Amino acid sequence: MRTLLTIAAFAAGVSALGTGAHAQDCTTKIGATLPTSVDWGRPIAEVAQFAVDQVNEAGGAAGCQIEMVLRDTQVDPKVGVDAAKALVDLEGVNVLLGAVSSGVSMPILTSVTVPGGVMQMSCCSSSTAFTKLSEEGKTNGLWFRTFATTAVQSAMAAKVAADKGYKKIAVLYKNDDWGQDMARLIAADFAAAGIEVTSSVAINDAQPSYRAEVTEAIGGQPEALYLALYPNEGTSAVREWLSLGGTQDMILANSLKSDEFRDNVGLQYLGNALGTDTASPRVASADAFKAAYVEKFGSEPNGPGLANSFDAAMLALLAMEAAGKDASGADIAAAVAKVTDPNGTPITADVAGFTAAKETLAGGGTVKYQGATGDVRFDANGDVSAPAVVWKFTDSGTEEVEYLSLGDVDAFIASLKK
Amino acid sequence: MIGVISYLVFFTTVAAILGIAVLGLNLQWGNTGLFNGGVVASFGAGAYGTLILGGAPQESQLGGFELFYPLALLGGMAAAGILAWAVGRLTLRLRHDYLAIATFGVAVAFENVMRNATTITGGAQGIRGFERPFRQMLGDGFTYNLVFLIAVLVILCAVYIFLERLTVSPFGRLLRAIREDETAARSLGKSPDRVRLISFVTGSVIIGLAGGLYGTFYAFVSPQDVLPILTFQIWAMLIVGGAGNAKGALAGAFLIWGAWTFSGWALSRFAPVEAQLYTGSIQFVLIGMVIVGMLLWRPQGLFPERLIVSQPGRSREKTQAEGFT
Repeated sequence: MRTLLTIAAFAAGVSALGTGAHAQDCTTKIGATLPTSVDWGRPIAEVAQFAVDQVNEAGGAAGCQIEMVLRDTQVDPKVGVDAAKALVDLEGVNVLLGAVSSGVSMPILTSVTVPGGVMQMSCCSSSTAFTKLSEEGKTNGLWFRTFATTAVQSAMAAKVAADKGYKKIAVLYKNDDWGQDMARLIAADFAAAGIEVTSSVAINDAQPSYRAEVTEAIGGQPEALYLALYPNEGTSAVREWLSLGGTQDMILANSLKSDEFRDNVGLQYLGNALGTDTASPRVASADAFKAAYVEKFGSEPNGPGLANSFDAAMLALLAMEAAGKDASGADIAAAVAKVTDPNGTPITADVAGFTAAKETLAGGGTVKYQGATGDVRFDANGDVSAPAVVWKFTDSGTEEVEYLSLGDVDAFIASLKK
Repeated sequence: MIGVISYLVFFTTVAAILGIAVLGLNLQWGNTGLFNGGVVASFGAGAYGTLILGGAPQESQLGGFELFYPLALLGGMAAAGILAWAVGRLTLRLRHDYLAIATFGVAVAFENVMRNATTITGGAQGIRGFERPFRQMLGDGFTYNLVFLIAVLVILCAVYIFLERLTVSPFGRLLRAIREDETAARSLGKSPDRVRLISFVTGSVIIGLAGGLYGTFYAFVSPQDVLPILTFQIWAMLIVGGAGNAKGALAGAFLIWGAWTFSGWALSRFAPVEAQLYTGSIQFVLIGMVIVGMLLWRPQGLFPERLIVSQPGRSREKTQAEGFT
């Protein structure tokens, strides 16, 4: 109790100090609800803050410096929704970044941002439920995500498998909304490409051993293994898989594009592993992001959702700039089209790019944002499609094996649907 | 200012809903001594039951019966009650920590069933897009939240009065007698097994009611809502508030949930920029410290149990006892 009172007294004191200082310079707040208490969530928040810093270096958005108020969701829907509500009501934000888990993003969307008319842009929620909700017209156009829907990932996996000539594949997937979506889509895509799925096994988080699951997967004698897992479970499952004599021919979802996974499994076992991802387009801005990230954080951006989080923050701020001063959440959401216009002036995702965008937008033009995940283009449901890349692990990180432009990806997806 | 009020309405709603669940647990643990480690199973059964019965139809998924809302809520409570009855029949012969382990297992199993039974519960994606009742009339904004809060508070008062009456009734004395010494109660011709089951089911129905309200308020429920952390949160509320005292249960709900959210807000606002990324972890430490501190210095809770509650001829305040047996 005393702790609480101390905090309360401290809070009251500091807020009294704070109001005086804030009055002179103009600061616009944006909110972020991200799982910073989780190991993989913290870098996602760091990179969003990094984007905000760059925008501030370019003079801020809509005439003001930007302050990102970050709240932890603890991957708990109650906590996340409360944090979002506090950001909207107490901090008065019109733009909310987050959350990561679809199970947290969804209640925030239905009970906070849509009723409150706040634009929500998630870096990483992948559930197909959002697309359905949007099709029913229940998001009021306020919802966006820079994480390409699982459809692109799964189609690319089918392409890799077809190119490699695998005929029988086992699937291990993370037992959450993303994993279940992946498993369903991959089964359909493999079938369309004439590949047999010998078994599709769910992997629950934090089990001490996955021997039973792996044994089941290996039982169908597959030629290759498809993994839609996160690094922790992925490491354990792959170790068991290899120790039981499973094949080293693997296809990995982008969630496993992590140094941790590579180091813990061992690079020597991952020689035949090919990953898919929706990032790293052949534009200068992606390289610029990579270079800037390495300079800032001292390692390559190898973690789930980093490029997506950066783009989410950048796009939200560009849209704020395009919507002008004192715009409402709906205005900002409507302005997203102005900064992702395929016919607009191309801009890069850094200080110079943001400055250039400001000039173009001030002159009434539109811009085409070329970000860390490439040319971002939202469809009517706030979903993105993206160019895809096939990658493999190397000593220093990952290396591109094959690059597919947005057109190639769309063409391949169309060919699967025939 | 309107923002602050709007947020407080929101906060109070969630705290009151959690308060109802804590009252349910208080009946089980505080009054009857049943160590329910699976609070979240009842909570989830209520939430899922309500949303399946009252929600709009969805593709390739059971449910969407679009029942009249109060019926759906009753259905959710019934689901929690039926689950509790089945679990109670199987496990209530167990004592203390064994009961806790068994019920905890039930809760974990419940979460896994919800996660995997895609055609019934929507799997990991959860049940989404539930239309909030009476939304047509009230709109979606502040008015709705205010009316919802009033409804929740009315329900909370009703549950509170019901439980207070129950505690001072002969049945309440029977519950405490069984909690203190089951053999003695049996020797007086009482049937502890039956009474324990009644208490367990009643408590679970109340927790299920809280779950139903929770699902309604968020218009969404997914397996992430029924993780063991919720059981822990509700227990923390009861321990801090004072087991065996309904007032304490409510105070605990508001305090712990307040600490949980306020610490997050205060840290995000006042912690230095370099520490911002670690506020999530700092918050966990702070909450843990509050609970540990409580257990060290005031184990009976903020509002200790009144040991004599139904003695005729004396006012309740005078008989309030400080001790914890």
